[in-house]
Amino acid sequence: MTPQPAAPELPKIDIDLYENTERDEDKEQPWIVVVWNDPINLMSYVVLVFQKLFGYNYQKAKQLMLDVHHKGRAVVSSGSREKSELDVLRLHEYGLWATMEQNR
Amino acid sequence: MNNHPQSVLFTRSGDQIEIHLNREERSLTKQLAQHLRALLEQDSHPHLRRLYPTAYPDNTKRDAEYINLVHNDLRETRLKAVNTVETTSENNILQPDELDHWITVISSLRLIIGTQLDVSETEQVDPERPNSMEYSIFLWLGLFLENAVEVSSSFLINN
Repeated sequence: MTPQPAAPELPKIDIDLYENTERDEDKEQPWIVVVWNDPINLMSYVVLVFQKLFGYNYQKAKQLMLDVHHKGRAVVSSGSREKSELDVLRLHEYGLWATMEQNR
Repeated sequence: MNNHPQSVLFTRSGDQIEIHLNREERSLTKQLAQHLRALLEQDSHPHLRRLYPTAYPDNTKRDAEYINLVHNDLRETRLKAVNTVETTSENNILQPDELDHWITVISSLRLIIGTQLDVSETEQVDPERPNSMEYSIFLWLGLFLENAVEVSSSFLINN
């Protein structure tokens, strides 16, 4: 039988390694969801998606779409990281080019 | 974003939708849905990249977590929509939720073909352009989507 080896010294875990992401984010600050202009999605389709996902009326949804179209991007929703991530996922399900960032 | 003229491929009839596609258009729709299914099942084709966008452009770690979490959801949502189109492509009538699945399929195909063709917003029709077959399909899908969106919008309560 092999003798019991000496217990190895436990490696020092670099806590920072796991906290880097959190450290750069301020938990108090809301996240914003941004939709970017793309050359493929139809304008009418983008309006429909904003109405379906966020319950915006036609005028509001159309204005947001025009902001995306003319300014290149528009903020379409904001809130906690979890809520924003869900909004991004739903926008991605519809094929819109959406990202999220923390409002600083 | 792109703007296309209207066409009449779908009309609303009460609480349902009537389809006005001819035989060739139905056959093309079915072929394109099968093409989308094959790509989604293969799951690694470079043409699919526009269907799985970045959520956190400034944070690769978070973005990798996001994509791990949602990739299958995004794939399954589209496969379910493909299934609806395959089983209803010969119908004359659609329910509103079925039309939404058609919209998901048409829109996904436009993203794939449009990315492949590298289309721009101000593009004019050029019969001499290379890949003109794919480009014709892309334009036809635009008409198709425009009309489907118009009909789907008429069902919104907050319109």
